[in-house]
Amino acid sequence: MLRKSFNNLPRLSQLCGLQGRLQSTQVAPVEPAPAEPEDIAAIEQRILKHPDYFQVHNLFTVRDLFNARVHYGHKEGSLDDRMRSYLYGSRLGHLIFDLDKTAAHLRDALNFAAHIAFRDGIILFFNRNALNAHLVEQKAMEAGEFSHTRFWRGGIFTNANVQFDAVTRLPDLCIFLNTQNNVLAQHTAVRDAAKMAIPTIGIVDTNCNPNLITYPVPGNDDTPAAIELYCNLFKEAIWRGKRKRRELLGLPPLEEAKPSKSAGRRFEKN
Amino acid sequence: MAQSRLEKIGTIFTRVQGLLRGSAMKAEDKPIWYDVYAAFPPKLDPRFDRPAPNVPVRNIFYAEDVVRAKLHKHNKPTETISLFDHKRSTQSQQFVQIYENLRAQGALDEQRIYETALDLLAEQRQQAKGTEAVEESLEETEAKSTLLSDFQDAGEQQQITTTSTPASKKTKKDYAGINIDSLFKD
Repeated sequence: MLRKSFNNLPRLSQLCGLQGRLQSTQVAPVEPAPAEPEDIAAIEQRILKHPDYFQVHNLFTVRDLFNARVHYGHKEGSLDDRMRSYLYGSRLGHLIFDLDKTAAHLRDALNFAAHIAFRDGIILFFNRNALNAHLVEQKAMEAGEFSHTRFWRGGIFTNANVQFDAVTRLPDLCIFLNTQNNVLAQHTAVRDAAKMAIPTIGIVDTNCNPNLITYPVPGNDDTPAAIELYCNLFKEAIWRGKRKRRELLGLPPLEEAKPSKSAGRRFEKN
Repeated sequence: MAQSRLEKIGTIFTRVQGLLRGSAMKAEDKPIWYDVYAAFPPKLDPRFDRPAPNVPVRNIFYAEDVVRAKLHKHNKPTETISLFDHKRSTQSQQFVQIYENLRAQGALDEQRIYETALDLLAEQRQQAKGTEAVEESLEETEAKSTLLSDFQDAGEQQQITTTSTPASKKTKKDYAGINIDSLFKD
């Protein structure tokens, strides 16, 4: 496929509004550093045997999810039947998620994201909620990854080589912080990612369809406090993967962007 | 370049697996997520046609909902609640707590407990209001001076200052502070 071993992806990065990281993501043909006797491919295989190599289970607790209001779903009328198994119940018409299930799914998703980051994959954050768009872009930048929070022109994935006039490397993982365009329609990139065989992680609310999402995380996808929690968790998981890779390769650690004061302090007081 | 864009058939893993097995995709072109997916498969296959589970959504109710419903049916809620405030308990919560306490003592029947709890809640609110009112009145007495009284005070103090100069600085300070406060109070 076209995913590996191509260097020219300038148009995708422009599109995603982030240019900083290109050097580090261009598929560095995996060469072991001189100090490191073990081949990186061998390391990649070895760490897969560990059930939780990046220790993502200690990133959050169920109490953190509760405090970030992850358990609130929509009202009963908008329930998608495929979400039934993730629910705890209905409180006077409002659906409530089972946070134990959410935590288990979220840990799987974080582990997957950390492994992809370790393997130097490109990660793309999606969000179509205008309220959280800036936050998501900010956090993606802090994670050194890409984001797409605007209108999705059809064919960005499926017709990339024509649209960008060049052979394009597509992302290796898509993280959807909300999988709906609006209350009626699913984000086209969910389908397109499945077409192009790109794994997806998605926060699915009670009105979403989790079927095409590879690692669905049932939870509230509207509240800024919840979105901020997800963003911080994915950011940290991605950084753990990247740090570990550079450590094992014997490279100097990457410079990490400081979390900005403006986005993110607002919801900390409660 | 081998590829399968039929997202409605199988999963991304089975499609890539098929390509690899039939050597339509070379092993070195294998996507980087493939091994990770194989090691940590998702809990459910991400198939397009995965049927919805037939699980009923249960209703969440608590034992104290009965009395809470009764309270809200017969009393109009008058308070303003801040959802960010986790320290303060709402009137409804206070009522339920009083009610449970009374019921634990076990001397009265349901209706009597309800009425007594309502009385106790009203009393509690009255007390809380009382303490607030006392605090407010204390503040009032401190800064009760009006414009007229300020002028009179100033007049008196001017007379004093003509006789004794060292006190003048202190009185001026007081005078200025009181004046502004009382002006805005009215």
